[in-house]
Amino acid sequence: MNPILALAMKDLRLLFRDKVGFFFTFFFPLLYAVFFGAIFSSSGGGGSAMKIVIVDEDGSEGSKAFIRELNDSPELEIEVRSRDEAMSLVRRGKRVGYIVLPEGFGKVRNRVFGGERLKIETGVDPARAAEAGMLNGVLTKYMYQGVQDAFSDPEKMQAQINESLAEVQNAEDMDPTAKATLLWFLPAMQRFLRELPKDGQSNRGWQTFDLESKDVAVQRTGPQNSYEISFPQGIIWGVMGCAAAFGISLVVERTKGTLVRLRIAPIGRAHILGGKALACLLTTLSIPILLFLLGVLAFGIRPDSWFLLGVGIVSISLCFVGIMMMLSVMGRTEQAAGGIGWAVLMVMAMIGGGMIPLFIMPPWMQTISHASPVKWSILVMEGAIWRNFSIAEMALPCGILVAVGLTCFIIGAKAFYWTEG
Amino acid sequence: MLQLINVRKAFGPIVAVDDLSLTIHQGEVFGLLGPNGAGKTTTVNMAVGLLRPDRGTIEVDGVGSPDRPDVRARVGVATQALALYDELTGEENLSFFGKLQGLTGRKLADRVEWALQFVALTDRRRDAVAKYSGGMKRRLNIAVAMIHDPPLLLLDEPTVGVDPQSRNAIFENILALRQQGRTVVYTTHYMEEAQRLCDRVGIIDRGRLLALDSVERLITAHGGKSVLIADRGDGDIRVDTDDPLAELLRLQKEGPLQRFRVERPDLERVFLHLTGRELRDA
Repeated sequence: MNPILALAMKDLRLLFRDKVGFFFTFFFPLLYAVFFGAIFSSSGGGGSAMKIVIVDEDGSEGSKAFIRELNDSPELEIEVRSRDEAMSLVRRGKRVGYIVLPEGFGKVRNRVFGGERLKIETGVDPARAAEAGMLNGVLTKYMYQGVQDAFSDPEKMQAQINESLAEVQNAEDMDPTAKATLLWFLPAMQRFLRELPKDGQSNRGWQTFDLESKDVAVQRTGPQNSYEISFPQGIIWGVMGCAAAFGISLVVERTKGTLVRLRIAPIGRAHILGGKALACLLTTLSIPILLFLLGVLAFGIRPDSWFLLGVGIVSISLCFVGIMMMLSVMGRTEQAAGGIGWAVLMVMAMIGGGMIPLFIMPPWMQTISHASPVKWSILVMEGAIWRNFSIAEMALPCGILVAVGLTCFIIGAKAFYWTEG
Repeated sequence: MLQLINVRKAFGPIVAVDDLSLTIHQGEVFGLLGPNGAGKTTTVNMAVGLLRPDRGTIEVDGVGSPDRPDVRARVGVATQALALYDELTGEENLSFFGKLQGLTGRKLADRVEWALQFVALTDRRRDAVAKYSGGMKRRLNIAVAMIHDPPLLLLDEPTVGVDPQSRNAIFENILALRQQGRTVVYTTHYMEEAQRLCDRVGIIDRGRLLALDSVERLITAHGGKSVLIADRGDGDIRVDTDDPLAELLRLQKEGPLQRFRVERPDLERVFLHLTGRELRDA
């Protein structure tokens, strides 16, 4: 057997025998990915409905019908409570906001012409400004829906016009010019509706537009779900743990004396370092492969390009094999190498988006992140999964990762202490 | 089998081995003795290619320098520190190091089987080394050194920290190897071990070879006379003599003896005579 392969197989066997090391290499990244994926998916982001409270002070058939409409909407999750309860729920952050349907809402909602303006009160936590805007938009949509329905149905429209005409005729304090205009316009509108043809499609009182939504699966510009963000981060932790473990294992070979026996064997130094690098490479490759397979099968991850994902994973593995070699020269003892090595990796993770996603970070920190291989590693994974990167766009981050790996490996191999003294 | 000619090795201002010349013949058990810091381990490390001498030449088995991998394949080393993987079983350790020596397939399996039997670890072959006793680890350390059937075996302090049973087993292993015609270089602090096992002994100190010969000749040359210690009831009488029996008869004629004993010169006395009695903590 090739000595490099024999050395690599030995290291892999040692890794699998070490239960703690095995846990932190394979299970911790999975826990990380699933845990943070679950948190992000249930935090109100993505496609989940906004939870709001309705205060129905009208209690009419019209207000109840409106509440039913809102309840059937995909944007909102409705709960009807008293005003005090609603305010309390919002104040305690349990609900995004509340809507008060005032007395007379049902009567006024679908009226098109004349009468008093409808006043609807909403209450939203000031810290959730974006969601307040969203709530106003959704509310406007469903309010307008009622008017649109009225215009779309000639019979309903006739009834509305009759009601409005009676109100205008009885209004004593109305501006005479406006009154005269409406008394001309409303009967004209009645005649127009009566003369509309009654043949199917053309029997429409008000031609608005129909909005048709389609899923655009190919041209995605964002992640399919939160796991497509959390899995790359989890994988990076596994890869970093693997680099640290193999770096420290090189130090242990020296301190325990097995390195002496390896050097006495009829093999070269390149074989010894090559065996360690191969074992590290195989492990750092297997972590993303296993986690992504699991992510695809169980967590709905759908990579845009399997080919580019493969290229990215190989680049990441090569990078961290080099970093492993560099870590092995950061201390002469196991404790020193482990301590210094993990300190370096933690900084890489912190500034590179391994702890919190880069898009949450301030711009200056995003600039600093260019120095971290973790940033480029996450970028190549996201590029292949949901950023829809082309081969040309993948070339830069992959090239950076391979270059960093190669440089670190050469420096580490040259600086490696072969003896205890 | 192993030849060192005018070898010198210094670490900065400290000369560890100074102009050392030594020839170790095939089939002999050679003891390399010396106090702490005498240069034993440096000599062994140069002999297996871990260190390169500053000057002089080292040749193994008439083939060449141990810098060459093919020459190192002719040497087996049991280092003083136990160079084993604790998480692997004894069998896996042997198999791994055998593969590094180029063994494969049936030959590898046969050598692993032989090595386990030789050091009496067959029953514990599938146990992790972490579960072995100190003596078992020492025996496995020797087995790993012999996995590729090298003609030259270097054993560096192979009995440190082992129980009497394991020590005895290691002695029997070494004697068996000598019977098979292997060459063994044995470094130790225990003089009685060297006296029991070694055909020839070299004593070095401060990097220089002080004496080199068979144990008996060394004792004759450097051990001094035997000491007869007799007691007539009024205190010990100590007499240095080359003929203890004649001296005993002479004392008996002078008056009755209650008891007596003879202290014969041994390797320890030779060692102390040559290297001095001051403490060496280096």
